[in-house]
Amino acid sequence: MKKSRLAAALMSALFLLPIASGCNENAEKHSTRELFAMDTVMSLSAYGERCEEATLAAEEEIKRLDALLSTGSSDSETGRINSGETVTMSDDTASLFSRSVEIYEMTGGAYDMSLYPLTVLWGFCGDNPAVPDEESIKKTMLLCGSDKIKSDGSTLTLSEGQGIDFGGIAKGYTSSRIMEIFKSFGCSGGIVSLGGNVQCFGTKPDGSLWRCGIADPSSPDDGMAGLLTLTDRSVITSGGYQRYFEEGNVRYHHIIDPSTGHPANSGLSSVTVISGDAALADGLSTACFVMGKEKSLALRRASDDKFELVLISDDGEITITKGLKDCFSSDREYSVAEG
Amino acid sequence: MKDKKSLRRDIALVGVIFLIGAAVAAAVLLLSKPGGSVEIRRNGQVQTVLPLEKDTRLVLKDESGSNTLVIENGQAWIEQADCPDGLCMKTGKISRTGQSIICLPHRLSVEIVGETSPSDVDVIVK
Repeated sequence: MKKSRLAAALMSALFLLPIASGCNENAEKHSTRELFAMDTVMSLSAYGERCEEATLAAEEEIKRLDALLSTGSSDSETGRINSGETVTMSDDTASLFSRSVEIYEMTGGAYDMSLYPLTVLWGFCGDNPAVPDEESIKKTMLLCGSDKIKSDGSTLTLSEGQGIDFGGIAKGYTSSRIMEIFKSFGCSGGIVSLGGNVQCFGTKPDGSLWRCGIADPSSPDDGMAGLLTLTDRSVITSGGYQRYFEEGNVRYHHIIDPSTGHPANSGLSSVTVISGDAALADGLSTACFVMGKEKSLALRRASDDKFELVLISDDGEITITKGLKDCFSSDREYSVAEG
Repeated sequence: MKDKKSLRRDIALVGVIFLIGAAVAAAVLLLSKPGGSVEIRRNGQVQTVLPLEKDTRLVLKDESGSNTLVIENGQAWIEQADCPDGLCMKTGKISRTGQSIICLPHRLSVEIVGETSPSDVDVIVK
């Protein structure tokens, strides 16, 4: 009898041991990686048996695309195009070019890859940005406009003074590629943030969805304006609070309105676009920031649920589109746009 | 009669063992939850991890430049830096798990790491 009692005690202890040790034996493998590329910091996170290989392959892909698309390097494909050389486009550049034209047309020119000469004029590519004189702005604007750039589909030649920058959709394009890589390695879930541009798929090991906080434009390093709980989506924000300079007590941010040649001033302090198509979300976040609330909501209504929006106005008012009703939450008051 | 008594004792013993086990599990879970730490990474590689509760001042230096990290009263911030944009200094003080300070020109990141809970956010979009 005593022996069986001892056995029972030992059995109980053995049963309880995994509880005490935190049950980590069956935890799914997790790999995270941080790198600096495309002028920003990127973090990659993937779950699954081969997650380590997956994040390593993703890092390689980011470096490859960065070298291809960098405007700062004269050796990159974009650099060669901007120097006036006739370039036979790689598959990536051809794809970015046609997506850029598509979003340019869709937004009535609010997203424009050909604004690069204006970005350079304002000094946003260097360390010393400054307000240019009005005449230079007007002259430079004449060089801009994606409709002035002609391509036969395989080669691209720019005229004197023209320049392109795929920076407005490159991070979205890249995060889509990373999702494909994660899936090809059999990962069960993953999330990436390419300088605050987020894309996710699958779920966390406990089966829950990803929780993406939207930075509060009035306190972006500390506060959160809302929370999205979702998966299989890209979530991309544009705001004037990230890159800017001050001159004569006026703040000048880096998102140029193609119709004025000046930083956009549409009454919005941040635009977040949620879509399964990350390149589209990336381009639209810039375009909607330029277009303002009413035009952005009208574009959303005309676009067959291709994307959803979280708009935060200069006075902090939050508006979401109806497709986000079940996945958005906030401590603050917000309204759901009709239609 | 004797059998009934011993059965009761067995049940009591199993109960006691279960309680002890539960207490041990609770203690392990509570004690294993670390206070936040400050993880310092350069080019994505972890350089050092410091406890958030210990006041420290540290100059982080490499060929790209230097950043002075201060940890005081459970908060961490960059007090001084020779980077061109100074954004790491403008970020201010961080103290909650997941918050970070980035110095892009110096490829430096300072992040509060620690136990996470299901209610934490996975990422901040900005």
